[in-house]
Amino acid sequence: MKKDFDLVIIGAGPAGMSAAIQASKFDMKTLVLDDQLAVGGQVYRHIMQNSNKKKDLSFLDGDYWSGHNLADKFLCSSIQFLPESRVWQITKNKEVFFTQKGKAHCVQAKSILIATGAMERPMPVKGWTLPGVMTVGGAQILLKTACSGADGAVFAGSGPLFYLTIQQYLRAGFEIKAVIDTRPKKMSLVAYIWAFPSLLQLRLLLKGIRWHSEIRKKLFYFSDVKSVRIIGKDVAESLCFTDAEGREQRISANHIFIHQGVIPNINLTMATELKHRWCRRQLCWKPKIDMFGESSIEGIFVVGDSMGIWGAEAAVFSGKIAIQRIAEKAKRSVAIKTLISCLYRWRQLAIRPFLDYLFKPPEDWLVPEDDTAIICRCESLSKTDISNAIKLGVSGPNQLKSFCRAGMGRCQGRLCGLTIQKMIANHHGQSEEKIGYYRLRPPIRPLTVFELATLSNDDSTAEK
Amino acid sequence: MMIPRRRNKVIVIGGGIHGCATAYFLAKRGQIVSIIERDHIARHASGVNAGGVRSLGRDLAEIPLSLASMDIWNNLHDEIGSYAKAFHPSFYLKVAIDEEGYAFGSARAEELERAGYNHEIWLESSDVQSRLPKLTTPTYGGFLVEGDGWAIPWQIVRGFAQGARQHGAEIIEQCNVFSLELKQNCWRLKTEKGFFEADYIVNCAGAWAAELAFQSGEPRMPLAAYAPMLAVTERKPPILPAVIGVLGHTLSLKQIDTGQFVIGGGVRAAANLGENSGEVVLPELVKSMRLVAKLFSDIAYAQIIRCWSGIEGYMPDNLPIIGHGKQPGLIHGFGFSAHGFQLGPAVGKALADLVMDQQPRIPLDAFRPDRF
Ligand SMILES: Cc1cc2nc3c(=O)[nH]c(=O)nc-3n(C[C@H](O)[C@H](O)[C@H](O)COP(=O)(O)OP(=O)(O)OC[C@H]3O[C@@H](n4cnc5c(N)ncnc54)[C@H](O)[C@@H]3O)c2cc1C
Repeated sequence: MKKDFDLVIIGAGPAGMSAAIQASKFDMKTLVLDDQLAVGGQVYRHIMQNSNKKKDLSFLDGDYWSGHNLADKFLCSSIQFLPESRVWQITKNKEVFFTQKGKAHCVQAKSILIATGAMERPMPVKGWTLPGVMTVGGAQILLKTACSGADGAVFAGSGPLFYLTIQQYLRAGFEIKAVIDTRPKKMSLVAYIWAFPSLLQLRLLLKGIRWHSEIRKKLFYFSDVKSVRIIGKDVAESLCFTDAEGREQRISANHIFIHQGVIPNINLTMATELKHRWCRRQLCWKPKIDMFGESSIEGIFVVGDSMGIWGAEAAVFSGKIAIQRIAEKAKRSVAIKTLISCLYRWRQLAIRPFLDYLFKPPEDWLVPEDDTAIICRCESLSKTDISNAIKLGVSGPNQLKSFCRAGMGRCQGRLCGLTIQKMIANHHGQSEEKIGYYRLRPPIRPLTVFELATLSNDDSTAEK
Repeated sequence: MMIPRRRNKVIVIGGGIHGCATAYFLAKRGQIVSIIERDHIARHASGVNAGGVRSLGRDLAEIPLSLASMDIWNNLHDEIGSYAKAFHPSFYLKVAIDEEGYAFGSARAEELERAGYNHEIWLESSDVQSRLPKLTTPTYGGFLVEGDGWAIPWQIVRGFAQGARQHGAEIIEQCNVFSLELKQNCWRLKTEKGFFEADYIVNCAGAWAAELAFQSGEPRMPLAAYAPMLAVTERKPPILPAVIGVLGHTLSLKQIDTGQFVIGGGVRAAANLGENSGEVVLPELVKSMRLVAKLFSDIAYAQIIRCWSGIEGYMPDNLPIIGHGKQPGLIHGFGFSAHGFQLGPAVGKALADLVMDQQPRIPLDAFRPDRF
């Protein structure tokens, strides 16, 4: 028999952990699955392992360590947690399929909480595939998990995580060669308008301003940069760009970290055929959810950054709210408490629109200027390859797949989907929303023939 | 007043392999043809199928059609030019790995002999092993057809569409046909892009065809829609020179030119005709995966990177509908029950014959629309 759970939570980041803690208070039989070795998600990656070397890791600040409390509560609660569990399909009947340690399992849930977080926006600038180029998020993970970094690195891009990681890099004692900031100097009018509500989160705002001014003062810093390209034969050798005065610049570097913000990780929500909408402000797809996080399929909730980018604090809240909602639905009541939590959450969201407008990714990071830039990494397709296929008369990303195999590799379009959608939209002069995204299908993570073969109906006892 | 936008002699509904091949042969013979397709050419079963070009294991009634089709496949360049490169002939081997499979094979061998067919050859187990050196399970032998193979399906369909266009056919995509009716010997189609008229209609609307026919005044035909599923793995070094099936099991396995394995063979999920989408329920493929892992342990550790399904129309006897409808000028070609891709070229020719009132070279009696 399949094992039954009241609740299955996918992802043990801030949203998933806080949801699980809440669920244990309601005595829900809960299973939490996470791909990683341990709890924490992206923000609090390695939090438990790091907690006893706090002194050596002074580059991590209070916001990071606040995750320790959450993780501790989570691990002490009564819920079942299975790390290294890769979920590859959720069905409409709320069966959750995953592999753990080479074996496939299936569990049946009454409710499902998807808290799979965000991923970094793909950045198909010229040379982004060269060895030596990494995302800023990737560089940060190395710092958090292994305290490792590279001296003489160049950071290029923009966004909150961009500044945060540079800060951490500095404090960890690594030498940074240059910071190439693509944010335009002039703030747009909408950004000015949204600056007012962001005052509600003054602490974060001030923190950001402080980071920025420190970076400007301490580092070799270029602002308002355009046309970033990474040059190199077999590995990254240098970074070229146009500076604010319109001069061509070239900085040699073997380690280049790039970043243009994060977007919800939609492969699971899309493959589960939840309804999605295009968010023009954050330039990404988001699952359609109600104020409690419930998606277009009853009983499937999406919380944290996988429902839209709101940050860790808001994620903690959204996890809690969703569980309160599930508990109330079971009792067929709506408690004032949940509504108040929802209201309170708005405070946590106040700064987001401002950040979104401030750090809007520049056009040339969405679709590269250079025709030879690689767009589909799995199939090694350049911008020219894609443009040629589009010219054959392609109406959307799915048709493009068969014309040139874009998006058919192992990443399932994670790294080319948005670029291709935009290129087709530009070609037809239509909105990206109209053009649509790849039709995503399970498995959302690769699994071997053998792993799938091990799935059986009568056994689902995964190893703890 | 409704003013007809155009007047066509023949309208083919559906831009799948059957619609496109029919339009091609009609246009080649000088007819005025339009294809009307709701989505884009090869969007459904014909573009996303497993690409198996298989004459092996066909129902006896289907063998003449399948062999006639093979003749066209073998000279495909003459019809669709460089698109024919998408066809990769090799051999098809359907092995017996258990007693039931062997019994099934023996019965089939007798049946074929009685009917006088000799295109399927029985191989002894040692011959199977030498043809498939990487096989990791003993067999009781198997059927072989030399020259069967696989193709990249959407390219073949595009080839026929392009050929039809070159002979003057018109292809209208993104155009749903809402209804059709016969008025004073003339067919009138109501579509997303206005009204069309034609003397002949060829109904190649795949899984949607029976509903369209019924609504036009034909008797109800028992067509059911399902979504057969396929899985494809990452790229691996070449180990599999042929397309593989297993007697008594639903499996088809091949390694395509990219090195990827394509695993399928008739396991089907639910289809939603209203939304034109098929489901993918991976766990249904567990049995196929066990079989693959047993047959070739090399493939067991290949990662499955993608699964998909396509919507197909099935008839209760798993044989297609090919023939004149009850109403004059209406000709049906659908219900291929998950093995219609290979038949496409010959069906196209046969449907063109029917439109032009010529006797098809192949007996179509088993496929009569009124057989139920
Ligand atoms: C996953 C899968 C694997 C398969 N593997 C093989 C294989 O290996 N070998 C093999 O021989 N066969 C295989 N088949 C079967 C084969 O693909 C089909 O039998 C064949 O493609 C059917 O072609 P068709 O043209 O009849 O239908 P379709 O390709 O479905 O075309 C019908 C077209 O009609 C259009 N249409 C429908 N209604 C309307 C309307 N009202 N107005 C306008 N247009 C309309 C649809 O949009 C569609 O494009 C497989 C099928 C599937 C799904």
